[in-house]
Order: sequence, then C-alpha cells, then structure tokens
Amino acid sequence: MLLRRLSLYLVTAWVAITVNFLLPRMMPGNPVQQLIGKLTGQVTVQQVRAIELAFGIGLHQNLWDQYIGYWHQLLVGNLGVSITLSTPVSSVLQSAVPWTIGLIGVSTILSFLVGTVTGTLLGWFRGSRLDSLIPVATFFQAVPYFFLGTVVLLVFGSNLHWFPVLGAYSQSVTPGWHWDFVFSLVRYGELPVITIVLSSVAGWMLGMRNMMITMIAEDFVLMAVAKGLPRRKVIMHAARNAVLPSVANLSLAIGLVVSGALLVELVFNYPGVGDLLLQAVLNEDYPLIQGIFLVITMTVLAANLLADVFYFVLDPRTRTEAAV
Amino acid sequence: MSERPTTSEATTLEDDTVLAIEDFCVDYGWGDAAVRAVNHVNLSVRRSRVLGVAGESGSGKSTLVYAATRLLRPPGVISGGHVSLTFDDPTSSDAKRRTVDLLAATPSELRAIRWSQVSIVLQSALNALNPVLRIGHEFDEVLSTHRPGMKKAQRRERAAELLSLVGLNADRLARFPHELSGGQRQRVMIALALALDPQLVIMDEPTTALDVVTQREIVNELAQLRARFGFSMIFITHDLSLLVELADDIAVMYAGNVVEWAPANDLYGAPRHPYTLGLLNSSPPLSGERRELVGIAGSPPDLSQPIAGCSFHDRCPFAFEKCSSQAPELRVLDDSGRKVACWLHDSPADVPVALRRRPRDATRVGAQTPSNAEGVV
Repeated sequence: MLLRRLSLYLVTAWVAITVNFLLPRMMPGNPVQQLIGKLTGQVTVQQVRAIELAFGIGLHQNLWDQYIGYWHQLLVGNLGVSITLSTPVSSVLQSAVPWTIGLIGVSTILSFLVGTVTGTLLGWFRGSRLDSLIPVATFFQAVPYFFLGTVVLLVFGSNLHWFPVLGAYSQSVTPGWHWDFVFSLVRYGELPVITIVLSSVAGWMLGMRNMMITMIAEDFVLMAVAKGLPRRKVIMHAARNAVLPSVANLSLAIGLVVSGALLVELVFNYPGVGDLLLQAVLNEDYPLIQGIFLVITMTVLAANLLADVFYFVLDPRTRTEAAV
Repeated sequence: MSERPTTSEATTLEDDTVLAIEDFCVDYGWGDAAVRAVNHVNLSVRRSRVLGVAGESGSGKSTLVYAATRLLRPPGVISGGHVSLTFDDPTSSDAKRRTVDLLAATPSELRAIRWSQVSIVLQSALNALNPVLRIGHEFDEVLSTHRPGMKKAQRRERAAELLSLVGLNADRLARFPHELSGGQRQRVMIALALALDPQLVIMDEPTTALDVVTQREIVNELAQLRARFGFSMIFITHDLSLLVELADDIAVMYAGNVVEWAPANDLYGAPRHPYTLGLLNSSPPLSGERRELVGIAGSPPDLSQPIAGCSFHDRCPFAFEKCSSQAPELRVLDDSGRKVACWLHDSPADVPVALRRRPRDATRVGAQTPSNAEGVV
C-alpha cells in the first residue's frame, strides 16, 4: 500500500517539475529580452547566460532537448543563477529555507500541540468554564495576521521591550553553533512564534474539541469508564482516535510551512523564503521564482508522504489494505 | 443447568443478593422536559444466578442497567431509588462481604468496583473495542489497572488463558479489532469481561448483532463459563426464547415499568401479562413445534406525554375500562412468587385463556431438553 503511494508521489513530483519547466516557456513575449531591457547598462554576460539557461532561449535547442537538459541540471543540483542577486539559486535558497522552516515549522508544530491538548480538554470538559477559551482563540484567528503582528510588535517589542524585534538574531553575535547565537535565535523567535501560534491555534483546538465530543459518544469510551480506568486513561482512549483528522491536517499545514510565511517575515523582518519570493516576484527574477516553486512543491509532497506514513502508524485500519 | 432454582427457591434470603435495585427511577432530561424512562423498578440479581431483562427497544431495559451501574450518560438522570452491590471484598484479608451503595459511591470507589466486580458486554463488539488498540492492550489495561502487582508477562499469560476460555488462540492478542470476525470480537469481549473474576457480568444484547449460528455457540459458551465460574449475570435482550435458556428469572419491561417477573420457565410457558404473551408470539421458539408469529399491534407509547392508566392498554387485546384510567402495580400473583402488573388477574374467572395456561413441561421450553444439553456442563 505504501509502495503504491510512493509511486503516486513520484508521478506527482514529475508532473510538478515538468510544469515548473514549461511555465516560463509558455509566457507571452520573450522574458529574456524584457529582462535585458530592464537591466540595460547593468547586465553582465553571466546574467544573460543565466536567463538563457533558465528559459532555454538562445540555446537554439528544441523543447525536448531543453527538457532533458533541465532535468540534467536539476539532478546535479543546478537551479540556475538568480538574475537580481547574481548568485546561484541553490545557494540563495540554502540561506533562506532554514530560517523559514525553523520559524514556521516550530510555530506550526507548537500550535498543533497546544491546540490539540487544549482541544482534548475542552472536548472532555465541555460545558465547563474552559469553554470561554473558544471565543478568545477564535478572536485571534479572526484578526488579520498583519494587524495582530504589528500590534504585538509595537506593544510588546517597541514599547514594553519584553521581546527583541526585527531580524532573526542579535547583530552583536556571530552566527554559528554556539550557545550565544542559539539563545539569541530563540529570543528573537519568541514574538513571531507566539503571534503565529495565537493566530492559528483556534483551528486545531476546535477541530480536536469537536472530534473529542464525537468520540466520547462511542461505545469504547463508555467501556473505558466501565473498566474502571482512571480518568486520564479514559480521555486518552478518546483522544487517540480523535487526533487522527488533526494529523491529516498537520500534514497540509507542514506542506505550507515553506510558502505560507510571507506576512510573518514581512512584519518581523525575518530572512525567510516568503520575503525572498516577494522580492523575486517584484524583480521578475524568474530563475529564483522557479527554484522557490520547486522547493515549495517538494516540501508539500514530502510533508504529505510523511503524514501518510504517520497516519499508517497511528491508525491500524489503514493497514488492512496491505494485509488483504 | 443444575443450579436452576425450583420455584420455591425464588424467594431467597436477603444476603444472597448481589445487586439490589429498589424503587429505581431514571429520567432523560431535567425539570419539565424530563421523560421518565425507568419507573419505580424493583429488581434483584442473586448470587450465581441470571436475571433476564426483556422488552422492545425503548422499553428502558438498557437504561435501567446502565443507570444502576452509574454508566448512564447525560441527559440520563437518576431521579430516585437505591442500588446496592454486595461482593466479596478482595482487598480485605478475610474475604469479608461488602455492600456498596452504588448511587452514593465516590468516583474512586466506583472505579475500584468497576470491572473487578461488575463488567459489561455490549451489543456491538466492534464499537466497544478501541479501533486503534491491539486486543492484547485491552486485557493488559484492565489487568494493570486493577491488579497492579501483576507483571507484564503474567498479564500476558492471563490474557492468553482468558482467550482460550472462549476458544480463541493467543495469537489474537496481537490483532486489531477490525481484523477479527464479529463472533471473535464478541468472544474477546466476553473473555475481557471475565478477566478480573467479577461478581456480576452485564450482557447488553451481546448476541443481537451476530448470525444465529454464532449466537447459538456464544450462548452455549456463556452457559459453560457460568457453570464454571459462577458469576451472576444480567442478560438484556428482546429475544425471550434466548433468555429462557440462560436466565433463571426474567423481568419483562414495557415503557419503563417491569410488567412481569417470573422464573424463566414459568414465564416462557405460561405468560401472565398480555405484553409478555405478545413478545412470545412475535419471536420463533428455538426448539419445539412451529407456531404462527404474530406481532404486537401499535408501537410503544410516547413517554414524554403523561400516560393514563396502564401503559400497554392501547395495544392490549384484552384491555377494559379500568386499564385506561388506573395504572396497575407489579403484584405477587400466586404462591410461586411470580409477579405481574395487570388488572386482568384481579378476578381469576375473567382471565383470558391465553393468560392462564399452566406452566408447560420443560420439553417445550428447551432448557433441559437433550438438544440443548451440550450447552450445559
């Protein structure tokens, strides 16, 4: 079953890469000429070649040969050269992707954990005073993120100075794997992480709460009570089943980690992929856009694969297909 | 069954009672919106005996038992009465008998009694077993919760032993519920129910979801297990012919009331309440001659509306004026101790023929016929 899934993913990846290859070539006009015109006076030979390589124009090859060449470049890790930055796209991505994965990844997982745990308790103790958490969480989800981020930044960062602001780490420490840097990283990450968790936790919470309420009505939860199990274990019986849809949603959320952080990175001036993509689009830096799309596609696919594996482990019923 | 009581034993000594339900009332909802689902019920389960509770869907039979064991979920509310459980206290060294007021018990007292003294088997074993846990985990969980002294290997051994009691191989422990057949799952539930040698096992329609062959096998196995371990049992079903094989006494419920209580053979062979008669006529006998099946006309009353008189009167073929104005109470009918709630028996001369048959010989009833003997040790 998992093997069949894997082959499905390979096909999807192939389609995504092919579309990524074809898209710039299907655009009207000649982007190379457009870009050269835009950059008149500053364009280097290297840049022209980079553009030509990215679009396969000027190489006088037919589409098929270009396609083969594209794959060849891709397999050796050559994504072309960024037009505006004059550096290889792969190294541009290497410097941006870890920031985004770090910030948004941590926030997403934290939000999932906090939301799922509170959702479990909200479901079990439904109708109690805990329920007042729901409107509060929903409020933060409803407030536009840009606004929430700015307010939090101004109040807790600029005015109260509880958290450092702007950037990913203090300018006074040199990046590297030592304690000062990691500490600075964590301190600078706190505010963006808290803001993201605040604005996204309601979804996890409500989803889990509703599934818990559905599960509590199940016979096996009644049986857990009848068995005289302590309340903690009874809740676990229900939660273990209620969490399954949330896990499926987590995979989608993780897939979007790389791309979905534009606003956060803008508000907090964080050096990630969202910021990079915005710059690339504004400057019509096609090789870079192509590279970012490729990374986003691959992350979404990888996250989905991971979720499939995780689900397979969590829910034995999905395993029967293989057994029968 | 050798321990089947004669009718004279039907009124046994007080200290032989395992579960005593007295003047028990259960409502659904609160205040004005409350619907009375169990109405002033008195029942008792005696040591090593089987009480059958029969009735249509919605008659209150499950509500009664779930409420009595404090398993009823909101909006079910216990609105009156007493329920007490008597058992040999395993925690005291001299195995002293203890009686616990179940309605007053604290959560921790309840947890200690649950499963170790009162276990339950539900109708659908697929829903009763947690779908994401292995069968072995279910056993391990109850054993580790209630027998903290047991080591992991001992618990596994005990689980395998329990499965063998119901004719399942120990390799089933590594399986998930969806990997077993319906009959196997119900056997697992029965084995699980016996894990801690409980005083009382509640069976809530355990065979209803199974085909008749599997049903037959499981009923036979239950009879064997009971003969071997001597636990008491409450068996809830709508199938009276099934009950008569397993139960010592049968209580027939209708609209939240017990309308007839009698030793199983008496009730089966000679029903005294028109509703019991209707139930018997609407299900085929497991053995004996064929007979025409007749359903009970109409449907159970809407309990949210006040009912004037006997709750069965508008479906009863024998109803007369008094039935629609005054509700009959459950009263002892004759010196055999059987009880019935029906005005027809007030004047013996007017009792319809169908309701004054003498208890037939056991040949019709089946429990002691050779064809069923393999089910009895």
